[in-house]
Amino acid sequence: MTEPRIGVYVCHCGFNIAGTVDVKKVAEYAKTLPNVVVARDYVFMCSEPGQDLIKQDIKEHNLNRVVVASCSPSLHEVTFRTAVAEAGLNKYLMEMANIREHCSWVHHDKEKATEKAKEIVRMAVAKARYLDPLEELEVKAEQSALVLGGGVAGLRAALELANYGLQVYLVEKSPTIGGKAALIGYVDPKTKGAEIVSKMFELIKECPRIHIFTNSELIQLSGFAGNYTAKIRVNPRYVTEKCTLCGECEEVCPIEISNEYNFGLNKRKAIFLPFNNAYPPYYAIDHRVCVKCGECEKVCRFGAINLKQEPKIVELKVGALVIATGYDPYRPFKGEYGYGLHESIITLFQLARMLDPESPTKGELIIGGKIPKSIAFIQCVGSRNTTPGAKEYCSRMCCTTAINNAIKIKEKYPDTNVYIIYKDIMTYGSDESLYEEAGKKLVQFVKFEDKIPRVLITPEGLFIEVFEYTIQENIRIPVDAIVLSIGMLPPRDIEELIAVTRVSCGGEGFVREAHLKLAPVEAPTKGIFLAGCITGPKNILESIRMGSAAAAKAMSLLSKGKITIEPMIAQVNEEKCSGCAICVGVCPYSAISIKNVNGDRVAYVEKALCMGCGTCNAACPSGAMQHLGFKDVQLLAQTRAVFGGEVNV
Amino acid sequence: MSDFEPKIVVYACNWCTYAATDLAGTSRMSYPENVRIIRVMCSGRVDPQFVLQAFADGADGVIVAGCHPPADCHYLEGNYKAYRRFELFRKLLESFGIEKERFRLEWISAAEASRWVQVVNEMVAELKKLGPLKKNLEVKE
Repeated sequence: MTEPRIGVYVCHCGFNIAGTVDVKKVAEYAKTLPNVVVARDYVFMCSEPGQDLIKQDIKEHNLNRVVVASCSPSLHEVTFRTAVAEAGLNKYLMEMANIREHCSWVHHDKEKATEKAKEIVRMAVAKARYLDPLEELEVKAEQSALVLGGGVAGLRAALELANYGLQVYLVEKSPTIGGKAALIGYVDPKTKGAEIVSKMFELIKECPRIHIFTNSELIQLSGFAGNYTAKIRVNPRYVTEKCTLCGECEEVCPIEISNEYNFGLNKRKAIFLPFNNAYPPYYAIDHRVCVKCGECEKVCRFGAINLKQEPKIVELKVGALVIATGYDPYRPFKGEYGYGLHESIITLFQLARMLDPESPTKGELIIGGKIPKSIAFIQCVGSRNTTPGAKEYCSRMCCTTAINNAIKIKEKYPDTNVYIIYKDIMTYGSDESLYEEAGKKLVQFVKFEDKIPRVLITPEGLFIEVFEYTIQENIRIPVDAIVLSIGMLPPRDIEELIAVTRVSCGGEGFVREAHLKLAPVEAPTKGIFLAGCITGPKNILESIRMGSAAAAKAMSLLSKGKITIEPMIAQVNEEKCSGCAICVGVCPYSAISIKNVNGDRVAYVEKALCMGCGTCNAACPSGAMQHLGFKDVQLLAQTRAVFGGEVNV
Repeated sequence: MSDFEPKIVVYACNWCTYAATDLAGTSRMSYPENVRIIRVMCSGRVDPQFVLQAFADGADGVIVAGCHPPADCHYLEGNYKAYRRFELFRKLLESFGIEKERFRLEWISAAEASRWVQVVNEMVAELKKLGPLKKNLEVKE
């Protein structure tokens, strides 16, 4: 190692530092530290003249390390790294001493603060002595992306990515794309979810760069940002593109089950078309219930049915992944507000579906065989800790959806009494106008607080008993039908998603973003992005926007055709490594494997996968694994310098 | 012992606790001067040898601090690695004759500047009561 020549720059930050810390004394002290060639103080180091001072010194004094004693590295590390790089020094040879946030701003005793600042500078100088020049690496980025989930968020992301020019593989578990938005009727008084989805289908059909895999799932993901390999299992549909949608097969199919595409409002066959506008526009056979009797194959005049289809494995190279696998509606337990005990107690999803002209009732409100004269929505079912099975969070979309559908009912059946029994109404943003409109249409709002309403099923009919908060009285409302405004749950198969993609969950069970404010839409693993309700409850607009955002982020990662890899990652000294593989087990990113080098087992770090946490370094018993930028010697030097000591290398 | 000022070495993860210490600064909170903060990317990076070295060199207390379990860790589960390591390490410390009050493993999120200040205040007060570390531990170079 060439002898370190260190320059120390103490910033006044106006009076922010100089007001509490005697910066001149700190600079004078820095001059006495080993290897320090020059030390200065200046009013604003981050200003152009301040940076020029550093650059000049690097050239004049032939500095090979720089310590800037100023604010937090989170504020100006990039600034000063860029400055030293402009003077020809490797930018990782700059270290910051945080004497503002950690000293001048939190202490008042000038003498003590000055002493502390000196020590902070001493610690930084000690670390700087052992800094290494580091080089950023570049890897090629595949110009393609995988979108998981064909709901509105996934569709939007796929369209954006394709518009940017990428090849897009859209993988959807069910036989059709469109997700739940295609089914839930009106998303606002004028727009049907199915219309939004149909418009997206039109664009997708025209786009040659979008490749759709329905009935498919991601079963393996390997590689790293820019270079993922995704294994997709394409489950057989048993119906080919020869299908003309004549529907004869459906008539002969002997299997009948509850139709999830109508939220259980009616039944469907094992061979079925999910909904009229489904895409791709062919029937599909539900392999979970089909008994392969062959009746459909016999009746099909177009030879479109092939019961001998086998699952296929497709391997795709993609640069990025967008996860948009959505949510599941909350599943009320039997007896939760009478659910499952009476035919006139339904969920909000069933009601919204019913009011869609494509539904089994053709858009008519028919519950328990009749048009209800009075109907009540109970809000927060499954949300906000209302019942033992409920989640803590607010599901965000249920208030607006309930009110929207209440207005629809009032428009169509002005004589029907509509009650909304709520805890709080959360029609945020412009949805507030719907709340007002519902009031004008005489939808009646009944507020409860801690005591949840009770549903009474009696021979005289259905009643809701509720302690009305505003009048502070128990009231009993006779109703013909009850709608449970159920919230959102993480999708049932989220565990499989986690196992394959290594994303992680927050406390609420949804996938969490790397950071809500600083790295939104990103998963912690580079190159994986998140869209829609997989990160938590959202309405359709928000999901669509997040789809766009995820695509834009994926694009900003891939657009240069190459990806820069941060150099502050783990590095193996193969001489020291014994191949014990402890590091392999502790790495949260599966970035480390054991390889064979001249007959010796040694650890190998896949640089593009390593995120630079340093856990392997702490776990390595032989010191072979080192976290560049935070190596043992660097951190020990910093530790010892607290007490004026030095490391022996 | 009234003028005894303990020295505390802190290993703070970049994403949560270091950010909280920054926030304490930008919020102009106030706490005693006794802490020296060393930035690591993750609490999972902290090697027990650093802590031992700090005690050997004269630290009166050491704090290792990271993101809240279960799910705040920027690196998914580094905080659990730290937890596993240091819960075991804590037991060893006592057998070295280092009182358990001298070592703290703390979870402080980026927003919890006041928690950071509270931890520093508590520890400084406790260490003042305990007095300087009676060094039974000699680390051979």
